[in-house]
Amino acid sequence: MEREAFLDRVGAARSGALLPATPPRRGAPSLPRLPDADLAARFVARLVAVDGEVHRVDAGDAASTIDAILGRHDAAEFLAWDEEAIGVPGLFERLAAAGRRRVPASTPADAAGRLAHQAGYRELAAAITGADAGLAESGSVVLVSGPGRPRMASLIPSVHIAVLRTSQIERTLPHLIAARPALAAAGSNFVVITGPSRTADIEMTLTLGVHGPRHVHVVLIDD
Amino acid sequence: MTAPVSFLGRVQRDRAAGRVTALDIGARRLTERRLAAAAEYPAMEQMRDAARAIRLDVLANLDRYLGRFADAVERTGGHVFWAADGDEANDHIARLAVDRGVRTAVKSKSMVTEEIELNAALAAAGVDVTETDLGEFIVQLSGDRPSHIIAPVLHRTRHEIGELFADELGVGYTDDPVRLNAIARRHLRGIFLNADMGISGANFGVAETGGVCLVTNEGNGRLTTTAPRIHVAVMGMERLVPTMADLAVMLEVLARSATGQRMSVYTNIVTGPRRPGDPDGPDEVHVVILDNGRSEVLGGDAAEILACIRCGACLNVCPVYRASGGHAYDSVYSGPVGAVLTPSLDGLADHADLPHASSLCGACKEACPVRIDIPEMLLTLRAEVAAVGLAPDWLRRGVRLYAEAATRPGLWRALLATGGLLGRARSSWLDSLPLHGAGWTDHRQFPPPATRSFHQRWKERTRGA
Repeated sequence: MEREAFLDRVGAARSGALLPATPPRRGAPSLPRLPDADLAARFVARLVAVDGEVHRVDAGDAASTIDAILGRHDAAEFLAWDEEAIGVPGLFERLAAAGRRRVPASTPADAAGRLAHQAGYRELAAAITGADAGLAESGSVVLVSGPGRPRMASLIPSVHIAVLRTSQIERTLPHLIAARPALAAAGSNFVVITGPSRTADIEMTLTLGVHGPRHVHVVLIDD
Repeated sequence: MTAPVSFLGRVQRDRAAGRVTALDIGARRLTERRLAAAAEYPAMEQMRDAARAIRLDVLANLDRYLGRFADAVERTGGHVFWAADGDEANDHIARLAVDRGVRTAVKSKSMVTEEIELNAALAAAGVDVTETDLGEFIVQLSGDRPSHIIAPVLHRTRHEIGELFADELGVGYTDDPVRLNAIARRHLRGIFLNADMGISGANFGVAETGGVCLVTNEGNGRLTTTAPRIHVAVMGMERLVPTMADLAVMLEVLARSATGQRMSVYTNIVTGPRRPGDPDGPDEVHVVILDNGRSEVLGGDAAEILACIRCGACLNVCPVYRASGGHAYDSVYSGPVGAVLTPSLDGLADHADLPHASSLCGACKEACPVRIDIPEMLLTLRAEVAAVGLAPDWLRRGVRLYAEAATRPGLWRALLATGGLLGRARSSWLDSLPLHGAGWTDHRQFPPPATRSFHQRWKERTRGA
């Protein structure tokens, strides 16, 4: 159907619609009214409650913490965002010294190249990303895609390690959007991740790691 | 004319097959979780009010928001297709698949593509389509249909699923959900990474940015919109929010109402195709905006039902849904929302009994995050059913008899007196009523008549005062 015809039909229906009267909306919706809370502490508690793990560290210990997590999961290979986007200088050098190899993240544009590249993702153990924000109330990390920031890193491996700073934590998603309105469309993909992949489709029994990561580690840097 | 097999007939079929208990247990548990999530979140009622205002604003200005959304999608490099009905949507997607040499497609869970039966259209075009939500994968593998809008196999036991996997996937039998999950993950992973096209629905479209928001727990929604080179999102035309700030409000209530989670695991917003320098993501994004009867609903008595955000809370609290099994609604949309939406989208003729599949207890309205007045719409639909002569005989005659008696005071008093006599003789609930009352007592008991009528008691009271 043509756009004009489609919209005309909707317009005609809408103009006679019997909808409950509501007061007109002015400006952005108000933010959730919530009692004060320590954002970092709440973030940690809420992420742990959904089976995530939090490692609260000083900036200087971030690289060794990440190396230790990879070691715990026997991850010899990892997919990653660029080091500047993760924000932990010297990270890749340290991981290379520990014998861990960074898997290339750039997917070729042609169809055959894409499939060949993605075949390498089948058994990927781990990935490291930065984060654009954290949400205290739900224990979520927010990631925006872009150059040097593959979407697959937070999606395809069994273990996802995200580096977040306490100063990046907002109370809820409405608070984040109010504080940084441009963030949500800053990349072609904006994702809010709340713990490991899960399902309860079979008899409501919780199972982790369905299609996405089984383990989510947040390395939370106090700043 | 009613559907060949009535709602009641379908309920009896599913109860006989033992399909209802698992669903009942699951639905109750989801309700407990929703209530717990609302209780620990002090802004829940505030966000529900805000969410309702946003959705009603969208419906009241839908053509404007749709135009804005489409412009924004195109600005980001995405393509928009306007589908008047399911056939137009299916033809377009099938043609796109053939044109782009698509052999395999993966789908993330989407009610709207079930509504238009997209899979059949793609299969006819030679495209191999795989459902990737664990529940939908099980549904597809067994040729079943979903029984719940967010938990499609709530009616299935783990033993059935274990046998299904053993038969269809050539694996050893297990009924351990963790192992069944691992089997599905392994099986689907290769399919994902090789698929040419990913097909999703849309929880919300954001008019301001052209973003399409997909909410999943498993991650299949993200894989579907990341791994294949083409992403097609099919969106019911009413699923918009004006801005990102509005979307954030909707997301505060959606997961809490659906599963009792504070947020679903993945809240994924796709804003156009992969951009220059992006290491991954689809090369093409197509958004199919679907009417398929919605503009008629918008212009009709049940317009408010289009504010629905498909959380499933009304299903979980509905005593009729829980006792019926989700398939009895004969539609992809079950429960109270289905009882309104299905006859509204698809016409009353084939679904005249659905508005009656409710006790009008109001639990759905109370649970609805956007406070849709479902009972009121069910009553309106019942009136329409009666007005076009589709009401069942026993009900029509019963109501006519009642009207005859109730409009003749003498006759009415005489009947009440007889009832009082009966009530004195019989104090327990009645197992059967005569004549047109039999339709009631076939499936439930009737309370004994009061020994003294309301009229009598009122008279005594006013005299005493």
